[in-house]
Amino acid sequence: MTRYQKRKAINCFNMGMCVATTAFGLFWLMWLLWTLVSHGVGHLDWQVFTRPTPAPGNDGGLSNAIVGSLLVVGIGTLVGAPIGVLAGTYLAEYGRYSRLGAIVRFFNDVLLSVPSIIIGLFIYQLMVVTMGHFSALAGGVALALIMIPLVLRITENMMRLVSDEMREAAAALGIPRWKIITRIVYRAAMSGIATGVILGIARIAGESAPLLFTALNNNFFSLDVLQPIANLPIMIFQFALSPYEDWHHLAWVGAFLITFAILALNILVRFGLRSNRQEQ
Amino acid sequence: MAGTKREVPSATMSSDAAADASQWRSDSVDVADQPSGPGHRQQGVVARHNPCRIAVEDLNFYYGGFHALKNIRVNIVDNEVTAFIGPSGCGKSTLLRCFNRIFELYPHHRATGTIRMDGANLLDSSIDLNALRAKIGMVFQKPTPFPMSIHDNIAFGVRLYERLGRHDMEERVEWALRKAALWDEVKDKLRSSGSSLSGGQQQRLCIARAVAVRPRVLLLDEPASALDPVATLRIEELIHELREDYTIVIVTHNMQQAARVAGYTAFFHLGEVVEYADTNSLFTNPQQKRTEDYITGRYG
Repeated sequence: MTRYQKRKAINCFNMGMCVATTAFGLFWLMWLLWTLVSHGVGHLDWQVFTRPTPAPGNDGGLSNAIVGSLLVVGIGTLVGAPIGVLAGTYLAEYGRYSRLGAIVRFFNDVLLSVPSIIIGLFIYQLMVVTMGHFSALAGGVALALIMIPLVLRITENMMRLVSDEMREAAAALGIPRWKIITRIVYRAAMSGIATGVILGIARIAGESAPLLFTALNNNFFSLDVLQPIANLPIMIFQFALSPYEDWHHLAWVGAFLITFAILALNILVRFGLRSNRQEQ
Repeated sequence: MAGTKREVPSATMSSDAAADASQWRSDSVDVADQPSGPGHRQQGVVARHNPCRIAVEDLNFYYGGFHALKNIRVNIVDNEVTAFIGPSGCGKSTLLRCFNRIFELYPHHRATGTIRMDGANLLDSSIDLNALRAKIGMVFQKPTPFPMSIHDNIAFGVRLYERLGRHDMEERVEWALRKAALWDEVKDKLRSSGSSLSGGQQQRLCIARAVAVRPRVLLLDEPASALDPVATLRIEELIHELREDYTIVIVTHNMQQAARVAGYTAFFHLGEVVEYADTNSLFTNPQQKRTEDYITGRYG
């Protein structure tokens, strides 16, 4: 075998392995999605969105859990996204060379890998025990703590991708620092930062462990942020472990809804923001 | 400093320039360090046509521990093109970046000495940086259109300093684009993104952006090094025209370019100004061995 043929054979082998491992990964993902579709779609009807969770054997839907999830994720995003974006801005712009910046960056990376149940316990101690009861607000704050390090990381990286030449060019025009950041760097990094926030939302939408200790659950429809609230992940946990057939169906529907909402968010990131990115 | 200097104008400041020195201050600090008439004419040679616009005296620059510029002494002539040439890492861009203090964006970059313009030391901490940069515009090696429309790229800088009505702003944008010889190519697509232009057009957009705020000095840091010969030629023609209204300092690796566009040329080597003279005599009759070696291509 000549050197050239040998090289080609190695290339073929490596390429084959890459395709095989990709197919292996995709296989499980497709199986998972198919399972959710086949078990979930059959029981999906309007009632799911209009009626709250039923007692076993009764008719009902998931309206309280869906609205509760939206509310808790909404609170998490409202608290977490601005903090994450602003802290990322600090690291990318002001704190780039400072010791404080390096410390913040390090602890953010630690926070990024803290198990979510620890965050749930922390907020339980901090808010639930202090306030005396579980609440949607505590759930939102716990989700925010999970979201912040992710959004912070992505924001910093995206802002660092904006070239220093651009910052120099802006500074050379006499543009003040804050205006360079808000009008030029943010604009150049906009789609990247939006991607970070959406990925953050996708990440917290499926979290159940932190909500177990904070938002808990609620069998009734509620919009009160100071009271326990139903949400999809905990509902799935509770219903899927129950012995009742109709609760199982609802758990499948809930799992289907969550997974495809997250999938939709990811697809939005990939295709919705792409035109924006190419423009730059 | 090893250099001999011939024909280089001294730092003669016009009296009205000294009078408006207070405009540099962000506060009302008394201007105590104005150049004092005759005592300041250290070279003893008065400019043939134009007075000195910027006088650099004993300038030292440090990148952390690295001493990048050593006791620089250069006078930049008003309404002329001055070229800085020299091998990579010789400090020519570093000096350019001192004029508008853009180096201050980075920690551990430090300049000491004096850069005198309009009676004030530009390195003085009381100088208002944004006012300074409004008077000394800069164009960089890489074209950097802002992520906004062609029109807004130019209007953005103008809006910082002037409150113009819609009509006046349109006029200013057109004026700047005409100055940069870009108007005819973009007049029908002012609302499209600045990054949709070609590289040469983007660089002219950056020149238009710098010109639009009406600075008195334009710093060009290898403005044509990323461009093809046709675009380079256009930029050089542009520099020729802009010389009428601006004092221009250009850093270039291209000696032919320096010879074509500049009235004065300084040769830098290892952080020193080896020789500074009018372009013609520097290229035809260099006084220093190092200059001669460089311009005849004998430097490795």
